[in-house]
Amino acid sequence: MPSLGPNLGATGDAIPGQRLAIIAETLYLINLLLLPGLAFLALVALYFRTIANAPPLAACHLRQTLSASLWAGGILVVANGFIILLGGYATGATWVVAILYFVCCHSALVLAGALGLARAMAGQPYRYPLVGRNC
Amino acid sequence: MVYQSQAVAKPYFIAAIGLFVGQVMFGLILGLQYVIGDFLFPTIPFNVARMVHTNLLIVWLLFGFMGATYYLIPEEAETELHSPRLAIITFWVFLAAGVLTILGYLMVPYATLAEATGNSLLPTMGREFLEQPTLTKIGIVVVALAFLYNVGITVLKGKKTVINTVLLLGLTGLALMFLFAFYNPSALTLDKYYWWWVVHLWVEGVWELILGAILAFVLIKVTGVDREVIEKWLYVIIAAALVTGIIGTGHHYYWIGAPEYWQWWGSIFSALEPLPFFMMTLFAFNMVNRRRRNHPNKAATLWALGTAVMAFLGAGVWGFLHTLAPVNFYTHGTQITAAHGHLAFFGAYVMIVLTIISYAAPQLLGQGEARSNRQQVLEMWSFWLMSVAMVFIVLFLTGAGILQIWLQRVSENPQPFMAVQEQIALFYWMRTVAGIVFFIGVMVFVASFLVKGREVARETPAAIEAAA
Repeated sequence: MPSLGPNLGATGDAIPGQRLAIIAETLYLINLLLLPGLAFLALVALYFRTIANAPPLAACHLRQTLSASLWAGGILVVANGFIILLGGYATGATWVVAILYFVCCHSALVLAGALGLARAMAGQPYRYPLVGRNC
Repeated sequence: MVYQSQAVAKPYFIAAIGLFVGQVMFGLILGLQYVIGDFLFPTIPFNVARMVHTNLLIVWLLFGFMGATYYLIPEEAETELHSPRLAIITFWVFLAAGVLTILGYLMVPYATLAEATGNSLLPTMGREFLEQPTLTKIGIVVVALAFLYNVGITVLKGKKTVINTVLLLGLTGLALMFLFAFYNPSALTLDKYYWWWVVHLWVEGVWELILGAILAFVLIKVTGVDREVIEKWLYVIIAAALVTGIIGTGHHYYWIGAPEYWQWWGSIFSALEPLPFFMMTLFAFNMVNRRRRNHPNKAATLWALGTAVMAFLGAGVWGFLHTLAPVNFYTHGTQITAAHGHLAFFGAYVMIVLTIISYAAPQLLGQGEARSNRQQVLEMWSFWLMSVAMVFIVLFLTGAGILQIWLQRVSENPQPFMAVQEQIALFYWMRTVAGIVFFIGVMVFVASFLVKGREVARETPAAIEAAA
């Protein structure tokens, strides 16, 4: 298990920073699929501990995943909260809009993460559609 | 084409596409019957149209799987097919049985069909998806045995690769599980219990092996990535599919009278069922990102990537949506199930068959590695039309399902089924419009075989060598 030190990913990788890029993308997906919040905190910690010395590939994926995770929080939690607040919890219309909205956005964010992880595994940079930052 | 005997795949693919067109036409009829209750009644009643729609799906997918097998097995085993003649005979037997069965559904009352085909001697009819007359079922077993013999001998005399082993395992499982169609106990719980061994263990079990093997074969060809890398992915994916899918059968046992522990087992294991589909997405995109060649058949690559994505959405996400027992308590048997069924079948199995057809067609038609640019552009149009239309069909069905659950099962004054159906008719209309777009997509796919165009630029052997 590699230590999460500032040089993580810079040594031992086929492409400098590849391992760190994969970890960042994995944490993004775990945040969406398994441990929401906890994985995000781990991603934030990883970002601040490694970004200063991260190779370009890792820095790209770190920026992307952090930015996309923040957007995901807004899109999934805040916007859904508004839908329920505005529509009222006990109406069929709110359920239809809220569930369809959540499923579509969540699936799109997970798919984007899967593509990001595939790019990281191939040692390539990636920009999240719409919500990603330039590398 | 590397081996002459691969040509036997051609009639299978043609039959598959023909029956696919028929299936979608009956889907449109059904869509209209949802909103115009007496549409085509009494010529084609709803229950008959539904039976034809689902049975045609199964039959054309089986044609597709068999065609895919006949195409890829000689290439993988590096030897000619054991008996191309047997493959052609089984093709005609299967086609005749399939067409006669569908005509039987359409032209004779179901009870008369059962009587005429001797169902009383060995009763197997009258169950969803397994409506085929017992005679047809016996015919299917004979065809499956001949098919497995032909393919099995070919693999035995040739090279054994991970792909042809996984494919053969999947096909053998398919044939074995179908035998439960002959077990028809009078106790409804027992009947349903084993009925799912055919239905669930096909689509969420052994068919996933067939899907994985075909996808792996096409990805090796279009990306040029090392076989060893792709084979490792395939092992992991099929292991995950079987581990989650077999016990995941429990999600069908929640409310049929099976022991209560299935609510736990079914929920836990089927919650993990999206995993192999997620890995498949990762696998497909990873291989394409690491590709070592630029294959001129862009359409086949698009279909392969689309298969992984749509299978993940349909089988994974939409399956998870209603798979946990406490959720399924409300969603069971609503339009949510229909939404999941449509996207899962399309994403996982329709698209993988279209992927292998797209990959094999230029070679079967003597066009080399790829069809003309014009043909590929049409094919890509058909891909997007079908995929986007299917997404909308599924979203409208999901909307209908959520509202149905609310009105029928959650609200303070639950309403009867038919009263609710009237209130969700708008979703059905929108679904029908999306269905028409889907049908246009299918016709564009067919049209791509009817037009001609200039040959595409091919990779030179030197370029392939350099990339490798």
